Amino acid sequence: MYDVIIVGAGPAGLSAAITCREWDLHVLVIDEFVKPGGRLLGQLHEEPNGEWWNGIEETKQLMDKAESLNTDIRCGISAHHLEKVKDHHFIVHTNKGNFEAKNLLIATGAAETAAPVPGWTLPGVMSIGAAQVMTNVHRVRVGEKGIVIGVNVLSAAIARELQLAGVNLHSMMLPAMNSVTKEHAHPKKVMDGLSRIAHLAPSAFLRFGSRFTKSDFVRKLATQFYPKSGVKMWGMPIHLRKAVTEINGKDRVESVTVFDITADGKLIKGTERRIEVDFVCIAGGLYPLAELAAVIGLPFQYLEELGGHVPVHNKKMETPIDGVYVAGNITGIESAKVARAQGTVAGLSIAKKHVDGKADLDYRLLKAIEQVKTIRNEATIQFHPHISEGREKIEQAFRRIVHS
Amino acid sequence: MDHITICRCEEVTLEDIKNTAKKYQCSAREIKLRTRAGMGYCGGRTCRPAVDAVMEQVTGEKPGHDIPLKVQPPVRPVSLATLRGMQDDK
Ligand SMILES: Cc1cc2nc3c(=O)[nH]c(=O)nc-3n(C[C@H](O)[C@H](O)[C@H](O)COP(=O)(O)OP(=O)(O)OC[C@H]3O[C@@H](n4cnc5c(N)ncnc54)[C@H](O)[C@@H]3O)c2cc1C
Repeated sequence: MYDVIIVGAGPAGLSAAITCREWDLHVLVIDEFVKPGGRLLGQLHEEPNGEWWNGIEETKQLMDKAESLNTDIRCGISAHHLEKVKDHHFIVHTNKGNFEAKNLLIATGAAETAAPVPGWTLPGVMSIGAAQVMTNVHRVRVGEKGIVIGVNVLSAAIARELQLAGVNLHSMMLPAMNSVTKEHAHPKKVMDGLSRIAHLAPSAFLRFGSRFTKSDFVRKLATQFYPKSGVKMWGMPIHLRKAVTEINGKDRVESVTVFDITADGKLIKGTERRIEVDFVCIAGGLYPLAELAAVIGLPFQYLEELGGHVPVHNKKMETPIDGVYVAGNITGIESAKVARAQGTVAGLSIAKKHVDGKADLDYRLLKAIEQVKTIRNEATIQFHPHISEGREKIEQAFRRIVHS
Repeated sequence: MDHITICRCEEVTLEDIKNTAKKYQCSAREIKLRTRAGMGYCGGRTCRPAVDAVMEQVTGEKPGHDIPLKVQPPVRPVSLATLRGMQDDK
Protein backbone atom coordinates (compact mmCIF):
# COMPACT_ATOMS: atom_id res chain seq x y z
CA MET A 1 0.00 0.00 0.00
CA TYR A 2 1.32 3.46 -0.95
CA ASP A 3 1.44 6.29 1.55
CA VAL A 4 0.00 8.49 -1.18
CA ILE A 5 -1.19 8.17 -4.76
CA ILE A 6 -1.17 11.39 -6.76
CA VAL A 7 -3.50 11.56 -9.76
CA GLY A 8 -2.09 14.06 -12.27
CA ALA A 9 1.54 14.86 -13.09
CA GLY A 10 1.07 18.55 -13.84
CA PRO A 11 2.91 21.25 -11.87
CA ALA A 12 0.69 20.63 -8.81
CA GLY A 13 1.06 16.84 -8.77
CA LEU A 14 4.79 16.89 -9.50
CA SER A 15 5.68 19.45 -6.85
CA ALA A 16 3.56 17.56 -4.31
CA ALA A 17 5.35 14.34 -5.25
CA ILE A 18 8.74 15.99 -4.79
CA THR A 19 7.79 17.24 -1.33
CA CYS A 20 6.42 13.83 -0.29
CA ARG A 21 9.59 12.15 -1.50
CA GLU A 22 11.73 14.64 0.41
CA TRP A 23 10.02 13.31 3.52
CA ASP A 24 10.55 9.78 2.29
CA LEU A 25 6.94 8.80 1.76
CA HIS A 26 6.05 5.87 -0.50
CA VAL A 27 4.57 7.71 -3.48
CA LEU A 28 2.98 6.78 -6.80
CA VAL A 29 2.14 9.43 -9.40
CA ILE A 30 -0.11 8.48 -12.31
CA ASP A 31 -1.03 10.52 -15.38
CA GLU A 32 -3.12 9.57 -18.38
CA PHE A 33 -1.07 11.56 -20.89
CA VAL A 34 2.01 10.07 -22.57
CA LYS A 35 4.38 12.42 -20.74
CA PRO A 36 4.45 14.18 -17.39
CA GLY A 37 4.04 17.96 -17.10
CA GLY A 38 0.31 18.42 -17.62
CA ARG A 39 -0.69 21.76 -19.13
CA LEU A 40 2.71 23.15 -18.34
CA LEU A 41 4.08 21.41 -21.44
CA GLY A 42 2.34 23.75 -23.87
CA GLN A 43 3.15 27.03 -22.14
CA LEU A 44 5.38 29.74 -23.54
CA HIS A 45 5.04 33.40 -22.56
CA GLU A 46 7.20 36.44 -22.22
CA GLU A 47 6.88 37.94 -18.76
CA PRO A 48 6.76 41.72 -18.29
CA ASN A 49 10.40 41.67 -17.11
CA GLY A 50 11.41 40.21 -20.46
CA GLU A 51 12.07 36.69 -19.19
CA TRP A 52 10.45 33.74 -20.90
CA TRP A 53 8.28 31.21 -19.14
CA ASN A 54 8.97 28.00 -21.01
CA GLY A 55 6.77 25.14 -19.82
CA ILE A 56 8.97 22.42 -21.26
CA GLU A 57 11.97 23.78 -19.31
CA GLU A 58 9.87 24.12 -16.15
CA THR A 59 8.68 20.54 -16.53
CA LYS A 60 12.23 19.32 -16.99
CA GLN A 61 13.32 20.99 -13.76
CA LEU A 62 10.48 19.38 -11.84
CA MET A 63 11.19 16.00 -13.42
CA ASP A 64 14.94 16.20 -12.70
CA LYS A 65 14.16 16.89 -9.08
CA ALA A 66 11.56 14.11 -8.89
CA GLU A 67 13.93 11.64 -10.53
CA SER A 68 16.79 12.54 -8.20
CA LEU A 69 14.42 11.50 -5.39
CA ASN A 70 13.51 8.22 -7.16
CA THR A 71 9.87 9.17 -7.59
CA ASP A 72 7.65 6.55 -9.19
CA ILE A 73 5.83 8.42 -11.99
CA ARG A 74 3.81 6.38 -14.47
CA CYS A 75 2.24 7.81 -17.61
CA GLY A 76 -0.52 6.40 -19.77
CA ILE A 77 -2.54 5.41 -16.71
CA SER A 78 -6.04 6.80 -16.49
CA ALA A 79 -7.98 6.80 -13.21
CA HIS A 80 -11.69 6.20 -13.75
CA HIS A 81 -12.87 5.81 -10.18
CA LEU A 82 -11.69 6.58 -6.65
CA GLU A 83 -13.10 4.62 -3.77
CA LYS A 84 -12.81 4.89 -0.02
CA VAL A 85 -12.67 1.46 1.63
CA LYS A 86 -12.23 2.74 5.17
CA ASP A 87 -10.31 5.48 6.95
CA HIS A 88 -6.96 5.91 5.24
CA HIS A 89 -7.53 3.13 2.80
CA PHE A 90 -8.38 4.16 -0.73
CA ILE A 91 -8.52 2.35 -4.06
CA VAL A 92 -7.65 4.05 -7.34
CA HIS A 93 -9.28 2.23 -10.24
CA THR A 94 -7.38 2.61 -13.49
CA ASN A 95 -7.13 1.14 -16.97
CA LYS A 96 -3.99 -0.66 -15.72
CA GLY A 97 -5.53 -2.20 -12.62
CA ASN A 98 -6.18 -1.01 -9.10
CA PHE A 99 -3.76 0.69 -6.71
CA GLU A 100 -4.17 1.17 -2.98
CA ALA A 101 -3.05 4.04 -0.79
CA LYS A 102 -3.47 5.59 2.63
CA ASN A 103 -3.85 9.07 1.12
CA LEU A 104 -4.94 10.49 -2.20
CA LEU A 105 -4.04 13.72 -3.89
CA ILE A 106 -6.31 14.71 -6.77
CA ALA A 107 -4.40 17.10 -9.04
CA THR A 108 -6.25 16.66 -12.32
CA GLY A 109 -6.12 20.30 -13.43
CA ALA A 110 -8.62 22.02 -15.69
CA ALA A 111 -10.55 21.29 -18.86
CA GLU A 112 -11.72 23.60 -21.60
CA THR A 113 -15.30 24.80 -21.81
CA ALA A 114 -16.70 24.19 -25.26
CA ALA A 115 -18.40 27.23 -26.80
CA PRO A 116 -20.52 25.66 -29.51
CA VAL A 117 -20.88 27.69 -32.70
CA PRO A 118 -22.83 26.28 -35.66
CA GLY A 119 -20.36 24.19 -37.67
CA TRP A 120 -18.08 23.48 -34.72
CA THR A 121 -18.10 19.75 -35.46
CA LEU A 122 -16.35 20.20 -38.85
CA PRO A 123 -12.81 18.86 -39.17
CA GLY A 124 -10.43 21.81 -38.79
CA VAL A 125 -12.25 23.22 -35.78
CA MET A 126 -10.43 22.71 -32.49
CA SER A 127 -10.29 24.14 -29.02
CA ILE A 128 -7.58 26.73 -28.46
CA GLY A 129 -5.90 24.32 -26.02
CA ALA A 130 -5.74 21.63 -28.69
CA ALA A 131 -3.99 24.11 -30.97
CA GLN A 132 -1.53 24.81 -28.15
CA VAL A 133 -0.78 21.13 -27.60
CA MET A 134 -0.44 20.41 -31.33
CA THR A 135 1.90 23.37 -31.79
CA ASN A 136 4.08 23.27 -28.68
CA VAL A 137 3.95 19.64 -27.59
CA HIS A 138 3.49 17.61 -30.79
CA ARG A 139 5.02 20.21 -33.13
CA VAL A 140 2.30 19.79 -35.73
CA ARG A 141 1.15 22.71 -37.86
CA VAL A 142 -2.56 23.22 -37.21
CA GLY A 143 -3.30 24.77 -40.61
CA GLU A 144 -2.40 27.47 -43.10
CA LYS A 145 -4.66 30.29 -42.03
CA GLY A 146 -6.98 30.39 -39.07
CA ILE A 147 -9.17 32.48 -36.87
CA VAL A 148 -9.65 32.44 -33.10
CA ILE A 149 -13.22 32.61 -31.78
CA GLY A 150 -13.32 33.81 -28.18
CA VAL A 151 -11.19 36.58 -26.71
CA ASN A 152 -9.82 35.91 -23.23
CA VAL A 153 -6.57 35.56 -21.30
CA LEU A 154 -5.95 32.04 -22.49
CA SER A 155 -6.76 32.58 -26.15
CA ALA A 156 -4.62 35.73 -26.32
CA ALA A 157 -1.65 33.91 -24.77
CA ILE A 158 -2.03 30.91 -27.06
CA ALA A 159 -2.64 33.04 -30.18
CA ARG A 160 0.75 34.59 -29.43
CA GLU A 161 2.32 31.13 -29.19
CA LEU A 162 0.83 30.17 -32.55
CA GLN A 163 2.22 33.37 -34.05
CA LEU A 164 5.66 32.64 -32.63
CA ALA A 165 5.50 29.20 -34.23
CA GLY A 166 4.80 30.83 -37.60
CA VAL A 167 1.11 29.94 -37.81
CA ASN A 168 -0.92 32.54 -39.70
CA LEU A 169 -3.90 33.92 -37.78
CA HIS A 170 -6.37 36.23 -39.49
CA SER A 171 -7.72 37.71 -36.26
CA MET A 172 -9.47 37.02 -32.98
CA MET A 173 -13.16 37.78 -32.55
CA LEU A 174 -16.19 36.84 -30.47
CA PRO A 175 -18.65 34.01 -30.96
CA ALA A 176 -22.17 35.15 -31.86
CA MET A 177 -24.47 35.17 -28.86
CA ASN A 178 -26.42 31.97 -28.24
CA SER A 179 -27.65 29.91 -25.26
CA VAL A 180 -24.18 28.74 -24.46
CA THR A 181 -21.71 31.43 -25.45
CA LYS A 182 -23.31 34.09 -23.20
CA GLU A 183 -20.62 36.27 -21.61
CA HIS A 184 -18.03 35.20 -24.19
CA ALA A 185 -20.23 36.90 -26.77
CA HIS A 186 -20.74 40.14 -24.83
CA PRO A 187 -18.25 42.88 -25.81
CA LYS A 188 -18.42 44.70 -22.47
CA LYS A 189 -17.80 41.54 -20.42
CA VAL A 190 -14.99 40.50 -22.72
CA MET A 191 -13.46 43.95 -22.38
CA ASP A 192 -13.52 43.56 -18.59
CA GLY A 193 -11.48 40.39 -18.99
CA LEU A 194 -9.16 41.89 -21.56
CA SER A 195 -8.10 44.81 -19.46
CA ARG A 196 -6.41 42.21 -17.26
CA ILE A 197 -4.15 40.98 -20.02
CA ALA A 198 -3.11 44.38 -21.29
CA HIS A 199 0.35 43.76 -19.86
CA LEU A 200 0.80 40.74 -22.10
CA ALA A 201 0.98 42.97 -25.13
CA PRO A 202 3.92 45.28 -24.84
CA SER A 203 2.92 47.87 -27.43
CA ALA A 204 -0.47 48.86 -28.73
CA PHE A 205 -2.62 46.98 -26.32
CA LEU A 206 -0.83 48.27 -23.29
CA ARG A 207 -1.47 51.83 -24.30
CA PHE A 208 -4.98 51.08 -25.36
CA GLY A 209 -5.83 48.60 -22.64
CA SER A 210 -4.44 50.11 -19.49
CA ARG A 211 -6.75 53.07 -19.81
CA PHE A 212 -9.73 50.72 -19.54
CA THR A 213 -8.73 49.09 -16.31
CA LYS A 214 -9.56 52.25 -14.38
CA SER A 215 -13.30 52.52 -14.41
CA ASP A 216 -16.34 50.64 -15.49
CA PHE A 217 -17.60 53.73 -17.27
CA VAL A 218 -14.50 53.98 -19.40
CA ARG A 219 -14.77 50.34 -20.32
CA LYS A 220 -18.35 50.88 -21.40
CA LEU A 221 -17.26 53.76 -23.58
CA ALA A 222 -14.42 51.72 -24.96
CA THR A 223 -16.73 48.97 -26.15
CA GLN A 224 -19.04 51.59 -27.59
CA PHE A 225 -16.29 53.18 -29.65
CA TYR A 226 -14.17 50.11 -30.25
CA PRO A 227 -12.17 50.68 -33.43
CA LYS A 228 -13.66 49.10 -36.57
CA SER A 229 -10.33 47.64 -37.60
CA GLY A 230 -9.88 46.05 -34.17
CA VAL A 231 -7.00 46.62 -31.82
CA LYS A 232 -3.76 45.05 -32.88
CA MET A 233 -1.83 42.83 -30.56
CA TRP A 234 1.52 41.77 -32.02
CA GLY A 235 0.18 42.77 -35.42
CA MET A 236 -2.92 40.60 -35.13
CA PRO A 237 -6.33 42.35 -34.93
CA ILE A 238 -8.53 41.61 -31.93
CA HIS A 239 -12.16 42.42 -32.70
CA LEU A 240 -14.69 42.94 -29.95
CA ARG A 241 -17.38 44.28 -32.25
CA LYS A 242 -17.37 41.42 -34.72
CA ALA A 243 -18.74 37.94 -34.15
CA VAL A 244 -18.66 34.61 -35.94
CA THR A 245 -22.16 33.23 -36.54
CA GLU A 246 -21.22 30.09 -38.41
CA ILE A 247 -18.30 27.95 -39.48
CA ASN A 248 -18.76 26.80 -43.06
CA GLY A 249 -17.43 23.98 -45.18
CA LYS A 250 -18.42 20.73 -46.83
CA ASP A 251 -16.05 18.13 -45.43
CA ARG A 252 -13.77 20.53 -43.59
CA VAL A 253 -13.47 24.17 -42.59
CA GLU A 254 -13.50 26.50 -45.58
CA SER A 255 -14.67 29.82 -44.13
CA VAL A 256 -16.44 31.57 -41.29
CA THR A 257 -19.44 33.91 -41.49
CA VAL A 258 -18.92 37.17 -39.61
CA PHE A 259 -21.23 40.02 -38.57
CA ASP A 260 -20.54 43.35 -36.93
CA ILE A 261 -22.17 43.48 -33.50
CA THR A 262 -23.44 46.20 -31.20
CA ALA A 263 -21.78 47.01 -27.87
CA ASP A 264 -24.12 44.54 -26.19
CA GLY A 265 -23.51 41.76 -28.66
CA LYS A 266 -26.45 42.00 -31.08
CA LEU A 267 -25.84 41.26 -34.76
CA ILE A 268 -26.04 44.27 -37.08
CA LYS A 269 -28.07 43.46 -40.21
CA GLY A 270 -26.39 43.81 -43.57
CA THR A 271 -22.84 43.50 -42.27
CA GLU A 272 -22.47 39.81 -43.07
CA ARG A 273 -19.34 38.61 -44.81
CA ARG A 274 -17.19 35.53 -45.18
CA ILE A 275 -13.57 35.07 -44.26
CA GLU A 276 -11.68 32.17 -45.79
CA VAL A 277 -9.78 30.07 -43.28
CA ASP A 278 -8.77 26.44 -43.05
CA PHE A 279 -8.81 26.11 -39.29
CA VAL A 280 -10.73 27.61 -36.39
CA CYS A 281 -9.78 27.69 -32.71
CA ILE A 282 -12.61 28.08 -30.22
CA ALA A 283 -11.80 29.46 -26.79
CA GLY A 284 -14.55 29.13 -24.18
CA GLY A 285 -12.41 29.35 -21.05
CA LEU A 286 -11.42 26.74 -18.47
CA TYR A 287 -13.21 24.89 -15.67
CA PRO A 288 -11.79 22.74 -12.86
CA LEU A 289 -11.70 19.06 -13.89
CA ALA A 290 -13.21 17.60 -10.75
CA GLU A 291 -14.90 14.37 -11.86
CA LEU A 292 -12.77 12.19 -9.56
CA ALA A 293 -13.50 14.47 -6.61
CA ALA A 294 -17.20 13.99 -7.39
CA VAL A 295 -17.11 10.19 -7.55
CA ILE A 296 -15.32 9.87 -4.21
CA GLY A 297 -18.06 11.99 -2.66
CA LEU A 298 -16.39 15.32 -1.92
CA PRO A 299 -18.82 18.21 -1.43
CA PHE A 300 -18.69 21.04 -3.99
CA GLN A 301 -19.17 24.78 -4.15
CA TYR A 302 -20.10 26.67 -7.29
CA LEU A 303 -17.84 29.71 -7.31
CA GLU A 304 -17.54 31.73 -10.49
CA GLU A 305 -14.40 33.39 -9.09
CA LEU A 306 -12.67 30.00 -9.19
CA GLY A 307 -14.01 28.95 -12.58
CA GLY A 308 -17.00 26.76 -11.65
CA HIS A 309 -17.63 23.81 -9.35
CA VAL A 310 -14.69 23.17 -7.05
CA PRO A 311 -14.33 20.51 -4.35
CA VAL A 312 -14.43 21.98 -0.85
CA HIS A 313 -10.95 22.30 0.66
CA ASN A 314 -8.91 24.51 2.98
CA LYS A 315 -5.64 26.41 2.65
CA LYS A 316 -3.72 23.28 3.64
CA MET A 317 -5.29 21.53 0.63
CA GLU A 318 -7.19 19.17 2.91
CA THR A 319 -10.76 18.15 2.05
CA PRO A 320 -13.62 17.09 4.34
CA ILE A 321 -12.64 13.45 3.66
CA ASP A 322 -9.66 12.69 5.89
CA GLY A 323 -6.74 11.54 3.72
CA VAL A 324 -8.01 13.11 0.49
CA TYR A 325 -6.21 16.22 -0.74
CA VAL A 326 -6.55 18.47 -3.78
CA ALA A 327 -4.10 20.88 -5.45
CA GLY A 328 -3.72 22.90 -8.62
CA ASN A 329 -6.42 23.96 -11.05
CA ILE A 330 -8.98 21.50 -9.66
CA THR A 331 -9.23 24.00 -6.78
CA GLY A 332 -9.71 27.02 -9.08
CA ILE A 333 -8.32 28.30 -12.37
CA GLU A 334 -4.96 29.98 -11.87
CA SER A 335 -1.53 30.05 -13.46
CA ALA A 336 0.93 27.17 -13.38
CA LYS A 337 3.10 28.93 -10.78
CA VAL A 338 0.22 28.95 -8.32
CA ALA A 339 -0.55 25.29 -9.07
CA ARG A 340 3.07 24.37 -8.39
CA ALA A 341 3.10 26.24 -5.09
CA GLN A 342 -0.18 24.58 -4.05
CA GLY A 343 1.40 21.20 -4.76
CA THR A 344 4.11 21.92 -2.21
CA VAL A 345 1.46 22.80 0.37
CA ALA A 346 -0.41 19.55 -0.29
CA GLY A 347 2.83 17.57 -0.07
CA LEU A 348 3.69 19.11 3.30
CA SER A 349 0.17 18.52 4.63
CA ILE A 350 0.42 14.84 3.70
CA ALA A 351 3.96 14.50 5.06
CA LYS A 352 2.93 16.12 8.35
CA LYS A 353 0.65 13.18 9.10
CA HIS A 354 3.28 10.58 8.44
CA VAL A 355 6.46 12.06 9.81
CA ASP A 356 6.47 12.12 13.60
CA GLY A 357 8.06 14.68 15.88
CA LYS A 358 9.14 17.06 13.13
CA ALA A 359 7.71 20.31 14.46
CA ASP A 360 9.55 22.01 11.64
CA LEU A 361 6.86 20.77 9.25
CA ASP A 362 4.22 23.03 10.76
CA TYR A 363 6.45 25.99 10.15
CA ARG A 364 7.23 24.89 6.59
CA LEU A 365 3.55 24.41 5.89
CA LEU A 366 2.73 27.92 7.06
CA LYS A 367 5.53 29.29 4.90
CA ALA A 368 4.31 27.33 1.90
CA ILE A 369 0.77 28.67 2.36
CA GLU A 370 2.18 32.21 2.49
CA GLN A 371 4.14 31.47 -0.66
CA VAL A 372 0.96 30.54 -2.55
CA LYS A 373 -0.53 33.91 -1.64
CA THR A 374 2.57 35.82 -2.67
CA ILE A 375 2.70 34.06 -6.04
CA ARG A 376 -1.02 34.65 -6.55
CA ASN A 377 -0.64 38.36 -5.92
CA GLU A 378 2.29 38.64 -8.31
CA ALA A 379 0.74 36.50 -11.04
CA THR A 380 1.05 37.96 -14.52
CA ILE A 381 -1.58 35.59 -15.88
CA GLN A 382 -4.85 35.81 -14.05
CA PHE A 383 -7.89 33.98 -15.32
CA HIS A 384 -10.53 35.38 -12.94
CA PRO A 385 -10.54 38.82 -11.36
CA HIS A 386 -11.80 37.96 -7.88
CA ILE A 387 -9.72 34.89 -7.20
CA SER A 388 -8.84 35.85 -3.62
CA GLU A 389 -12.51 36.33 -2.70
CA GLY A 390 -13.23 32.91 -4.19
CA ARG A 391 -10.45 31.41 -2.08
CA GLU A 392 -11.93 32.99 1.03
CA LYS A 393 -15.40 31.59 0.26
CA ILE A 394 -14.15 28.06 -0.22
CA GLU A 395 -12.24 28.26 3.06
CA GLN A 396 -15.44 29.29 4.82
CA ALA A 397 -17.34 26.44 3.18
CA PHE A 398 -14.72 24.03 4.47
CA ARG A 399 -15.12 25.32 8.02
CA ARG A 400 -18.90 25.13 7.80
CA ILE A 401 -18.84 21.55 6.58
CA VAL A 402 -16.14 20.25 8.90
CA HIS A 403 -17.63 21.87 12.02
CA SER A 404 -21.22 20.88 11.35
CA MET B 1 -28.95 28.68 -34.19
CA ASP B 2 -31.08 25.79 -32.87
CA HIS B 3 -29.52 23.26 -35.20
CA ILE B 4 -26.16 23.44 -33.42
CA THR B 5 -24.90 20.25 -31.91
CA ILE B 6 -24.41 20.61 -28.16
CA CYS B 7 -23.41 17.07 -27.21
CA ARG B 8 -21.13 15.70 -29.90
CA CYS B 9 -20.85 12.10 -28.74
CA GLU B 10 -24.61 11.54 -28.72
CA GLU B 11 -25.31 14.11 -31.45
CA VAL B 12 -27.87 16.06 -29.46
CA THR B 13 -28.80 19.49 -30.84
CA LEU B 14 -29.98 22.59 -29.05
CA GLU B 15 -33.32 22.01 -30.78
CA ASP B 16 -33.58 18.46 -29.35
CA ILE B 17 -33.02 19.82 -25.86
CA LYS B 18 -35.49 22.68 -26.27
CA ASN B 19 -38.15 20.40 -27.73
CA THR B 20 -37.75 17.86 -24.95
CA ALA B 21 -37.98 20.59 -22.32
CA LYS B 22 -41.15 21.94 -23.92
CA LYS B 23 -42.82 18.58 -24.42
CA TYR B 24 -42.16 17.11 -20.97
CA GLN B 25 -41.83 20.31 -18.87
CA CYS B 26 -39.17 18.42 -16.93
CA SER B 27 -35.98 18.93 -14.91
CA ALA B 28 -32.50 19.23 -16.37
CA ARG B 29 -31.76 15.72 -15.15
CA GLU B 30 -34.76 14.29 -16.97
CA ILE B 31 -33.87 16.13 -20.17
CA LYS B 32 -30.43 14.63 -19.96
CA LEU B 33 -31.83 11.12 -19.52
CA ARG B 34 -34.32 11.56 -22.35
CA THR B 35 -31.90 13.10 -24.87
CA ARG B 36 -28.69 11.45 -23.60
CA ALA B 37 -26.95 14.85 -23.77
CA GLY B 38 -23.68 14.57 -21.84
CA MET B 39 -23.96 10.79 -21.50
CA GLY B 40 -21.75 9.69 -24.36
CA TYR B 41 -18.23 8.41 -24.77
CA CYS B 42 -16.46 11.46 -23.32
CA GLY B 43 -18.52 11.26 -20.14
CA GLY B 44 -19.54 14.87 -20.60
CA ARG B 45 -16.02 16.26 -20.31
CA THR B 46 -16.43 18.18 -23.56
CA CYS B 47 -20.00 19.35 -23.32
CA ARG B 48 -20.82 19.42 -19.59
CA PRO B 49 -20.58 23.22 -19.19
CA ALA B 50 -22.49 23.74 -22.45
CA VAL B 51 -25.20 21.24 -21.51
CA ASP B 52 -25.47 22.84 -18.05
CA ALA B 53 -25.82 26.30 -19.63
CA VAL B 54 -28.52 25.19 -22.04
CA MET B 55 -30.39 23.35 -19.28
CA GLU B 56 -30.25 26.42 -17.10
CA GLN B 57 -31.69 28.47 -19.91
CA VAL B 58 -34.50 26.11 -20.86
CA THR B 59 -35.55 25.02 -17.35
CA GLY B 60 -34.64 28.17 -15.40
CA GLU B 61 -32.82 26.00 -12.79
CA LYS B 62 -29.93 28.02 -11.37
CA PRO B 63 -26.57 26.33 -10.85
CA GLY B 64 -26.38 25.19 -7.22
CA HIS B 65 -23.37 24.01 -5.29
CA ASP B 66 -24.00 20.39 -6.23
CA ILE B 67 -22.69 19.38 -9.62
CA PRO B 68 -25.88 19.73 -11.69
CA LEU B 69 -25.66 16.61 -13.81
CA LYS B 70 -24.14 14.20 -11.36
CA VAL B 71 -20.85 12.52 -12.25
CA GLN B 72 -20.84 8.71 -12.22
CA PRO B 73 -17.93 6.29 -12.36
CA PRO B 74 -16.27 5.24 -14.56
CA VAL B 75 -15.23 8.79 -15.53
CA ARG B 76 -13.21 7.47 -18.48
CA PRO B 77 -14.26 5.00 -21.16
CA VAL B 78 -13.05 1.59 -19.99
CA SER B 79 -13.50 -1.91 -21.34
CA LEU B 80 -15.91 -4.27 -19.63
CA ALA B 81 -12.97 -6.53 -18.80
CA THR B 82 -11.38 -3.67 -16.85
CA LEU B 83 -14.64 -2.98 -15.10
CA ARG B 84 -14.97 -6.64 -14.18
CA GLY B 85 -11.54 -6.35 -12.58
CA MET B 86 -13.00 -3.53 -10.53
CA GLN B 87 -15.74 -5.88 -9.27
CA ASP B 88 -13.31 -8.68 -8.40
CA ASP B 89 -11.36 -6.43 -6.12
CA LYS B 90 -14.27 -5.60 -3.90
C1 LIG C 1 -5.70 24.07 -22.61
C2 LIG C 1 -5.09 24.76 -21.44
C3 LIG C 1 -4.12 25.72 -21.65
C4 LIG C 1 -3.55 26.39 -20.58
N1 LIG C 1 -2.60 27.35 -20.83
C5 LIG C 1 -2.07 28.03 -19.81
C6 LIG C 1 -1.06 29.01 -20.03
O1 LIG C 1 -0.71 29.26 -21.19
N2 LIG C 1 -0.53 29.65 -18.96
C7 LIG C 1 -0.93 29.36 -17.67
O2 LIG C 1 -0.38 29.92 -16.72
N3 LIG C 1 -1.87 28.44 -17.46
C8 LIG C 1 -2.45 27.77 -18.47
N4 LIG C 1 -3.42 26.84 -18.22
C9 LIG C 1 -3.88 26.63 -16.85
C10 LIG C 1 -3.23 25.37 -16.33
O3 LIG C 1 -4.30 24.58 -15.90
C11 LIG C 1 -2.23 25.67 -15.23
O4 LIG C 1 -1.22 26.49 -15.73
C12 LIG C 1 -1.52 24.43 -14.67
O5 LIG C 1 -1.03 23.58 -15.67
C13 LIG C 1 -2.41 23.67 -13.73
O6 LIG C 1 -1.63 22.66 -13.13
P1 LIG C 1 -2.27 21.36 -12.53
O7 LIG C 1 -1.15 20.55 -12.02
O8 LIG C 1 -3.36 21.74 -11.62
O9 LIG C 1 -2.99 20.64 -13.75
P2 LIG C 1 -2.47 20.16 -15.19
O10 LIG C 1 -1.24 20.83 -15.58
O11 LIG C 1 -3.64 20.26 -16.07
O12 LIG C 1 -2.17 18.62 -14.94
C14 LIG C 1 -3.17 17.69 -14.65
C15 LIG C 1 -2.76 16.33 -15.13
O13 LIG C 1 -3.71 15.38 -14.66
C16 LIG C 1 -3.88 14.40 -15.63
N5 LIG C 1 -5.19 13.77 -15.42
C17 LIG C 1 -6.41 14.37 -15.41
N6 LIG C 1 -7.37 13.48 -15.15
C18 LIG C 1 -6.77 12.29 -14.99
C19 LIG C 1 -7.23 10.97 -14.71
N7 LIG C 1 -8.54 10.71 -14.52
N8 LIG C 1 -6.32 9.97 -14.63
C20 LIG C 1 -4.99 10.21 -14.80
N9 LIG C 1 -4.49 11.44 -15.07
C21 LIG C 1 -5.36 12.45 -15.17
C22 LIG C 1 -3.77 15.14 -16.95
O14 LIG C 1 -3.36 14.25 -17.98
C23 LIG C 1 -2.73 16.21 -16.64
O15 LIG C 1 -1.44 15.82 -17.06
C24 LIG C 1 -3.97 26.11 -19.27
C25 LIG C 1 -4.94 25.12 -19.06
C26 LIG C 1 -5.50 24.44 -20.13
C27 LIG C 1 -6.55 23.38 -19.87
